[in-house]
Amino acid sequence: MMIYELTELTKIYDNRTVLDLPCLAIEENRIYALLGPNGAGKTTLLNILGFLDAPTSGAMQYRSRPVGFTEKTLQALRRKVVVVHQHPILFTTSVFKNLEFGLKIRKISPQNRTRIIEEALDMVGMRNFASARAHRLSGGETQRVALARALALSPEVFLCDEPTASVDAENQAIIINLLRQINVEKKISIVFTTHDRTQAAGIAHQTLVLDHGKLVRAGYENIFSAVIDQDCRGKCVYTLSPNVSLFVGTQGAKPKDRRIRISIDPNKIKFCPETRQESGNNFLQGTIRQVMSENGYIRVLIDSGIWVTVMISPGEYRQHGFLVGDTVQYTIPPEAIHTTV
Amino acid sequence: MDFFIDSFASALLLVLSLDPEMISIVGVSIRVSISSTLIAGLFGVPMGFVIAFGEWPGKPMVITILNTLLALPTVVIGLFVYAFISRRGIFGPFDLLYTQGAIVLGQVILIIPVVTAFTVAAISRIDERYRRTAMTLGANRIQTAWVVFREARFGIMAAIVAAFGRVISEVGISMMLGGNIKGFTRTMTTAMALEYDKGSFTLAVALGIILLGLSFGMNLLFHFFQGRSRI
Repeated sequence: MMIYELTELTKIYDNRTVLDLPCLAIEENRIYALLGPNGAGKTTLLNILGFLDAPTSGAMQYRSRPVGFTEKTLQALRRKVVVVHQHPILFTTSVFKNLEFGLKIRKISPQNRTRIIEEALDMVGMRNFASARAHRLSGGETQRVALARALALSPEVFLCDEPTASVDAENQAIIINLLRQINVEKKISIVFTTHDRTQAAGIAHQTLVLDHGKLVRAGYENIFSAVIDQDCRGKCVYTLSPNVSLFVGTQGAKPKDRRIRISIDPNKIKFCPETRQESGNNFLQGTIRQVMSENGYIRVLIDSGIWVTVMISPGEYRQHGFLVGDTVQYTIPPEAIHTTV
Repeated sequence: MDFFIDSFASALLLVLSLDPEMISIVGVSIRVSISSTLIAGLFGVPMGFVIAFGEWPGKPMVITILNTLLALPTVVIGLFVYAFISRRGIFGPFDLLYTQGAIVLGQVILIIPVVTAFTVAAISRIDERYRRTAMTLGANRIQTAWVVFREARFGIMAAIVAAFGRVISEVGISMMLGGNIKGFTRTMTTAMALEYDKGSFTLAVALGIILLGLSFGMNLLFHFFQGRSRI
């Protein structure tokens, strides 16, 4: 069952369209990762999904019922959905009272409140902090208490804005495991934003990529800013950095010097055994910085002045036998390059 | 210099001996100041909250006017209120002139802008995330407003303390509307002015010491609340 269905939804701030979604459906009981660069509209979308902001135009359905953006309707819906912000703020009182706030509003009895709060704090490993002053907690602890505060309300949907962005590695692992756990055990649907593609691929059932307020092909990585230029033969190239220009074929005339964003399909990038200087085939060289196994594929991160992710099969990986630190050559065919905006 | 030292020593003795006349004057001062501060708080805090919390056209202009009223001279208020409560004024029949009520009325007008403007500042300083957090946790508008109020509580307390400090040390309103009647409307500041006129400094210096002590205490409280509001 779809929990959210968005149609022709836009959000405009100061005559600037920050969100433009022709169609988006979010399924129940699944984890969605929302990827995209800063200013892509991730937080705006999260706030709309959390019923904190109304869209400028378009329609939204929650559990197949149209959402009317009146204060009364939104308030009822907000009790089913919780947003945990990137830098959550705790009320200047004890941890216990922070968790109690939402429960009191929902008129939960004091005995049940205590039990629920203890359970929620247990889940995030903060049981011993119940009586601590909330504003004296560290960043990671604050993030965990904010998650517990949301968790205590047993929401249908959990919306987290970069839940691991400003915490240390230990707390990141705790938070990621917690998201998995609540999705599996409590059947809570989760939408979280992140810049970390590896993290997104690791825990999300589905990844959505936003760029300039628009959904771009999900799963695509390698998003870069580029300037449209011409090479010495007058052919169209995209310049990503002073040392990296990509030939994109002769697919129609494009205005020179215009800045665009492109994505490169990591599955279509091919490793080559030797260096060749055919600019038409976009041969690049770089140093392998990271190799990891992911969902039946091998992800190879290459530093070529720009950071390029390549996805290859385990068989192909064994054939090449790459190690971290090796210098490799690879080719980006024009059909792997897509203009996102 | 000897004259000053003698006066100061006599004043200290007067303070330590808890002179009945001095105590009566201090009592009147504190009574009217607390009354006016409480009344101004009752009106000023909600006004400040509404101004800070709401989004409506003309809000910047209202805040500008409020800030201008912070510099309202006490004699102007004295004159203004006098016009209304004197025998020929529209509130003449209430016989308010030269009563503690008249002083309270004038002082309330003096410090409502102080309480309101400081409350606006205290509420505006509260992080927007508190409001959004309360909303996402399911709070309605009133519950959300209460969260913001709670977070601004120390700033609002500081506003009240600042207002009390303003009225306890003002002289124009107390003199013009209270009339400096001994044992009834004589406050610390009007008594000091009178003693100065008489050339008798002992009581004036003694009251000055108490007034300074009170102001110091108020400032300590003010900084305490201001400090807490930045937590």
